[in-house]
Amino acid sequence: MKKSRSGLVMLGIVALLYLVLGLLHPEKTAAALGESLGVLKMILPILLLVFFLMALLNAYIDEKAISRHMGEESGLKGWLLALVGGILSHGPGYVWYPLLQNLREQGAKDGLIVAFIYARSIKIPWIPLMITYFGWSFTLVYTFWVVVGAWLQGIIAQKLLR
Amino acid sequence: MQSKFKTAAAGTLKSLKRVAPMLLAIIGLIGLFKTYITPEMLRTLFNGSALHDMLVGVGFGGISVGQPFLSYIIGGELLKEGASFYGVTAFILAFVTLGVVQLPMEFSIFGFRFALVRNLLSLLFAFVLALLIAFCVRIFT
Repeated sequence: MKKSRSGLVMLGIVALLYLVLGLLHPEKTAAALGESLGVLKMILPILLLVFFLMALLNAYIDEKAISRHMGEESGLKGWLLALVGGILSHGPGYVWYPLLQNLREQGAKDGLIVAFIYARSIKIPWIPLMITYFGWSFTLVYTFWVVVGAWLQGIIAQKLLR
Repeated sequence: MQSKFKTAAAGTLKSLKRVAPMLLAIIGLIGLFKTYITPEMLRTLFNGSALHDMLVGVGFGGISVGQPFLSYIIGGELLKEGASFYGVTAFILAFVTLGVVQLPMEFSIFGFRFALVRNLLSLLFAFVLALLIAFCVRIFT
């Protein structure tokens, strides 16, 4: 992983943005801060879970196993693993980035990581809500094409990033 | 076994510390977007033509952030207001797969090339899949 100077710069910019907006629209900006704290509270448990998974992965799964399941010779099983993993993963995408980068560094194929990230568009807990708003046929068609799209995108990315 | 776990946990803590500033910055931005960009603002931009709505959908889906279910709720409202299925589908897809706000984080963690390729592909796929999905739905219903 790269060093986090960009993170500190970014944090500075955001803090400045809050300061300026806070002077212009104090109430709205306070609400924004409240929203942010809400998001932080929501993702903290997920974050801990992800980093715990990372720890387990680092300790018990060696690079050979990763390259076998997610590396060059992983084949169809690798794609299935990435797609199912993406669909089942919880929380916002950026929470998963460090873990995914970790897998890449240990030999996982780029295409599989791309497929995982795209497959995250399907969230099983929210499917009932989607059906309520858009109906069964839309939900089925949407889910089908997103899975196909994630797979295709992974294949293209693999070719481009080789 | 015990010490293996300990060193892994320590390494994990270190990587958590490394991403913390960027993570906090992104979360701060998310709060700003949630309060400053309202569904009403989005609604006035769609006009019902497929191409126009798809462009607007991808644009606003890409810069909006939040839980996927928010995009379903906003999308459902947009549909009621007369936006096309193409536009709403593109909006939902872009909402969940593209994140301009978290882009700096993606670049800093994955590196430039990977993040660029992934985001450009997701941008392209938002259009392609929106066309395919809206087309299929029209056939089925």
